Amino acid sequence: MSYLSTIDFTEDREFVDRFQRAMCGDLDLGWMAVEREQVRCRPQNERRGLTFRDLVVGSYGFTEMPELIRRNRSFAPRGAAMPEGLPDLQADVNRKSEVWAYNVEGYYEEAMSRQWNATTDIPWRELADAQLPEEIGKAYAQLLTFLTEVEMIATDVPCKWMGRLNADFFEVKNFIATQAMDEARHAEIFRKRALSTGFGLMRASAHNEFNLKFLRDADSFAEASLALHLQAEGMVLTLFRFSEYISPTEADKKLFRLVMQDEARHVGYGMQHLKWVIDHFPERREAIHHHLDEAENFVFGAGYATEVLEPFIILAGKGLRKENIQQGVRITQAFQLKQSDEYFERLAKCGLPERRERSRLWKFVELNRQAIAA
Amino acid sequence: MPVSFPSIGFFEALRDAMRAAHERFSRLGFFDTTFGVRVFGDGADLAPTEFALTFDVFECTAVRERLDGVGTDFILEGSLAAWRDMLDNVHALGAADTAHSINTLTHFGERLRVRYEDPDGHDKLYRFAESIQEFFDLSAGIDFVYGDGTRPPVRREPLRRSGT
Repeated sequence: MSYLSTIDFTEDREFVDRFQRAMCGDLDLGWMAVEREQVRCRPQNERRGLTFRDLVVGSYGFTEMPELIRRNRSFAPRGAAMPEGLPDLQADVNRKSEVWAYNVEGYYEEAMSRQWNATTDIPWRELADAQLPEEIGKAYAQLLTFLTEVEMIATDVPCKWMGRLNADFFEVKNFIATQAMDEARHAEIFRKRALSTGFGLMRASAHNEFNLKFLRDADSFAEASLALHLQAEGMVLTLFRFSEYISPTEADKKLFRLVMQDEARHVGYGMQHLKWVIDHFPERREAIHHHLDEAENFVFGAGYATEVLEPFIILAGKGLRKENIQQGVRITQAFQLKQSDEYFERLAKCGLPERRERSRLWKFVELNRQAIAA
Repeated sequence: MPVSFPSIGFFEALRDAMRAAHERFSRLGFFDTTFGVRVFGDGADLAPTEFALTFDVFECTAVRERLDGVGTDFILEGSLAAWRDMLDNVHALGAADTAHSINTLTHFGERLRVRYEDPDGHDKLYRFAESIQEFFDLSAGIDFVYGDGTRPPVRREPLRRSGT
């Protein structure tokens, strides 16, 4: 126990007396006399129910929240009265610009309503009957191994930061809680699918893990979000779409449609967060570029690692024969170009159109594009 | 009385089918987007037929003809033959098979293409992927004919959901 109470409550006369008087019916009621802003929030749209957006009123809302949260150092929910003596919980993240995103409250509601269940929403019995040729089955099992590895760390990262955010960032904390649940479900479904193919888990990837360690060990939430939500998940979103495209069965396609929904929502948060930062603090542009320089190096190593590249080629070409491999390489190249285009397109939309020119990843992809065209 | 594809009546029939499947769509979650459907005619000089579909909460709340003046997150477009191939498949099998899901048809733009201006709008195709797939799968239960009077193939499998 590293945190000890400064009061031994059972020995504290005043506390014990107060407790005993209350139990004899002598109530203090000081909490009831506190002046509060009284509100009665109602759903703006009855079909949708009562949303976080419906709660954006007066001191309970977030529109007047300052950039730096100095006042609330405790767990007090935003808008609650804060008596003297609340502990300083020393939140690591107290700047709104480090976490905030346009529409974060909407992403939370969407996440809550679009939860699904990896155990019951996939027709596992039909998948158990699906026989995959050995090279396809092994390639698919390797892809699923890679994705399980990715999603375990994608679960750890939001969990790591959730408790470090100031309590006033209520909507963001709740959103990343949904993300942690989403990522845990992704790790679950990829592990379950790998272990239901008949081939089991294949090989972990060192290159992939370099990138995952980079994501986990980010120095700030803003860096973690940039690298995770926008860059890594943006690339993984295109990868999920490609995986749906090459999936061998209808049930596998459904699986990838379900995970892509969650991933696209996380990317949406990442985009709206970066937009918020660029709109409010344009001077941070250079620091963002520096972080992306490193993040792109790692993601290049992970995304093009043998353990994911080769399964893609085999799955896209539908086999290991020479003509299958040639076809698989063509389709995988098209996927890589699309993945890169979408990533830089998102950055441009967020306010970083110059990223293409600065990026070594973009230059590499462009050279590859020219080589393909030739 | 069968409705015709492409026509406003076809998409209104899908809207009504979605309303009747409220429980199924509410389980899939909030579905908030406006997207376009563009169908190119067979002849080079034929203007495309366009529709705007608006989804709010769990329902399709508006079906409009033409995209002029409508803010769309993305537009799904393709030739009548490509749309027909998808609808025939869905109608025959009760839901799209592996070659005819919306994501597969649009991923590389080989048969259907996705047009968009805002990548955030584009990503809504993926945020609501399962709802969009199930919306188009509802066409398996619609009585419709194509403009030339031909019908989709007779159903070989019961109505179902893609992937089940």
